[in-house]
Amino acid sequence: MPLNYQDMIRALESFWADRGCVLMQPYHTEVGAGTLNPATVLRCLGPDPWRTAYVEPSIRPTDGRYGENPFRFQQFWQYQVILKPAPEDILETYFESLAAIGIDLARHDLRLVEDNWEAPTLGAWGLGWEVWIDGMEITQWTYFQQVGGLELDLIPAEITYGLDRLGMFVQGKSSVLELEWAPGVTWRDVFGENERQWSAYNFEEAPVEVLVNRFAEHETECAHLLARSLPLPAYDQVLKCSHILNLLDARGALSVTERASYIGRVRNLAREVARTYVESLAQAAA
Amino acid sequence: MPRLLLEIGCEELPGWACREAEEQLPELLRTHVGALPSALFIGPRRLAALVDGLPERTADEWVKGPPETLRERAAAGFARRHGVSVEALEAREGFLGLTLQGRSLREVLPERLDAVVRGLAFSRSMRWDESGLRFPRPVRWILAKLDAQTILGESSFGHRFTHGRVVIGEAGDYAGALRAAGVEPDARERRRLIVEGLDEIGGWSDPAGVLEEVVHLVESPLVLDGRFEERFLDLPRRVIQAPMQKDQRYFPLGGNRFAFVANGGDPDVVRAGNENVLNNRLEDAEFTFRRDVEQGIERLASRLDRITFFAGAGSYAEKTERVVRLAGRLGGGEASLEAARLAKADQAAELVREFSSLEGYIGAEYARRAGFPEGVAAAIEEQYLPDGADAPLPQTEAGKVVSAADKIDTLATAFGLGHRPTGSRDPYGLRRAAIGLCRLAGEGELTIPLDLLPDEVRDFVEERLEGVLGVPVEFVRAARASGVRDLGALAWLAEALAALPDEELGPIHTVYTRAARIAGEAAGEVDSALLHEEAELALARALQQVETAKIADRDPEAFASAAALAPAVERFFDEVLVMAEDSAIRANRLALLSQVRDEVGRLGDLSRIPR
Repeated sequence: MPLNYQDMIRALESFWADRGCVLMQPYHTEVGAGTLNPATVLRCLGPDPWRTAYVEPSIRPTDGRYGENPFRFQQFWQYQVILKPAPEDILETYFESLAAIGIDLARHDLRLVEDNWEAPTLGAWGLGWEVWIDGMEITQWTYFQQVGGLELDLIPAEITYGLDRLGMFVQGKSSVLELEWAPGVTWRDVFGENERQWSAYNFEEAPVEVLVNRFAEHETECAHLLARSLPLPAYDQVLKCSHILNLLDARGALSVTERASYIGRVRNLAREVARTYVESLAQAAA
Repeated sequence: MPRLLLEIGCEELPGWACREAEEQLPELLRTHVGALPSALFIGPRRLAALVDGLPERTADEWVKGPPETLRERAAAGFARRHGVSVEALEAREGFLGLTLQGRSLREVLPERLDAVVRGLAFSRSMRWDESGLRFPRPVRWILAKLDAQTILGESSFGHRFTHGRVVIGEAGDYAGALRAAGVEPDARERRRLIVEGLDEIGGWSDPAGVLEEVVHLVESPLVLDGRFEERFLDLPRRVIQAPMQKDQRYFPLGGNRFAFVANGGDPDVVRAGNENVLNNRLEDAEFTFRRDVEQGIERLASRLDRITFFAGAGSYAEKTERVVRLAGRLGGGEASLEAARLAKADQAAELVREFSSLEGYIGAEYARRAGFPEGVAAAIEEQYLPDGADAPLPQTEAGKVVSAADKIDTLATAFGLGHRPTGSRDPYGLRRAAIGLCRLAGEGELTIPLDLLPDEVRDFVEERLEGVLGVPVEFVRAARASGVRDLGALAWLAEALAALPDEELGPIHTVYTRAARIAGEAAGEVDSALLHEEAELALARALQQVETAKIADRDPEAFASAAALAPAVERFFDEVLVMAEDSAIRANRLALLSQVRDEVGRLGDLSRIPR
């Protein structure tokens, strides 16, 4: 019997916990990817080793399809692993984790296909791959090189499993909606209605004027927190701004120039947070 | 003589990195090890080379010291520095010195091979540990063998999932040992196996050119074929091919079949998985396609105000307005104007956001589905042609007009923002656009008035003519200064000038250069009342007959009529003193010559053609 969705997550949790990862939980504000969780993006800065693993719901309002498309959702699930510094045998360990969720590596065709990562709003980039199994992309793999425009002291390996795709592969399903989440319960049962309602919110109801004001408030708050050398709460303001920008985008509320200017504002905040965070680490060490 | 094996074991390298290494390794080995490799083995997990015919020892080296005459003063210091006694120094050609014995190859190889590895330079590289080494992906092992001796490392590794550590007995056993461990290390052999496998299946194609990448995506090529659900055959052909090739690196086989290359695994399991993936991809593409079709091309076009053309250049809606205006000024008819209005609509299509290669093609499809005439759809589809130096031109008149209008706008907008291409940097494809314009005007015989181009753009485009026409650059430069007002006529003129036989070009050239030299900057009307001498009256009369303006209509009569001036001009210079004492007469004669210059000058600045 293939593992159901939650058992697959449990198998990954125990696999990475056994390899020294701090198991964390999803972050408490919307992020577009597990990378943006401060447990990845901020912990990758600075000289301290760090290992963590966690599930992250990725919120991308423009990708919502009212639950009608079998592969596209405004909320999907990633399993995020960070090992900083990257151990020499990290790729082998990653492949072992696939065996741990029941994949027979010798029977399948596993490949690493170049896929580099760049997040201009964070001044971040890295080199890596997408991992294919029998042609299906199940993981994004990145060796971070820079974050916040800063060269990293220790190079982390970031392993981002696409849980929905991986689940489809493990369970042999051709729609995410049909995945068995728990015995007798499908993905659709758990989140189908959620997709419909949130797509309606993202595309139709999200209050544009209110969001525009909120963006400015979070931006102001971020600057204030940075001035007080509180980069961690300041970073949450960046995440909130970034999510508001995505919502405004889904509402089709931004002209070309407006959108570019919002992106620029998020980028400036993110860079300033990264700089202040590294300074705060240096001060703590001194 | 000993044989050397060097293997750099990596985490999976991208295909471009494999090719960059392949180009550099021979020279690096020659420099640091002393011989070119006899074989290279290039692939995603290993870059390896065999080098034959290496000397067992490096050559002895003579270290020259102080002149013999300074034996008393300097020899002791020199000997001490090299750790020998003064008595051990030898004298050669008046100098003291010593012979450093050559070292064994084995002894020097570790440092030399390290230099080879560090000497590889890549267009994109990364760090992964504290070693300071930069490489496109982490280097995980290095193995060097000199015949049966191990110089560096311990062993190699076979196929990632079916074989583990592989002990290489002797350098020469390398390829055989890896083949036994499920790896074909030779890229050329992998390529041959893949093509052979595809040929066996038959009927394969590779329109997007993924084969070279696929060669470096596998170590153990397994060529398989599969099928996708027939219902997807209702999708436009390129909508099926885009996910197949761009996302999956598959090879279309026609119908609902495709071929692909795996890196091992159970063929039935792997085939089933890939079929499932492609069905999912096509399902997604179909969903997106249907949504776009549901929107319809008009709704897509109405959303262009939200999409940036490029930074600083406003939206696609603004670009569309400009392109429509330009299409009108290019003389485009109804189909051209309609196509121009809808040309960029597919930039708002979800399908184009996913597969940019479908732009144009899919807009045309959406136009057809919305009931637009084929002439409009074809022009939308052809707007990006020609997309390469030898690529075909648009076949329809409307396609030519939209293509030219689009390119003129891209050039004018980019130059207006200061994005002139520099060196190899040309992110907006301006050179390609300019060359496309030249070809549309020349081969395509589309009238492109030069006054549609801002000065800077006009220069840039006219400069491209030199490469496009294949005539000596002087003729193009001469033609650029002519009175011709459209790009196609300009191209024609440059070619016509270059093709003129010497006996025809000679007289025109002489007339022009002499008149231009004497007249200088002179201009103005000729006062016929001030013409007295027979020769100047004759020249004035001859000027009345000149029809060089016909050059604008590409009429070769223009050359003949210029040539007909030659006798009158020659007589004028023989018989008339231009620099007359009377300033009014002098000015009048200069004005007469300036007219000769300007009339013949319609054919171009002939002084640019060296004779």
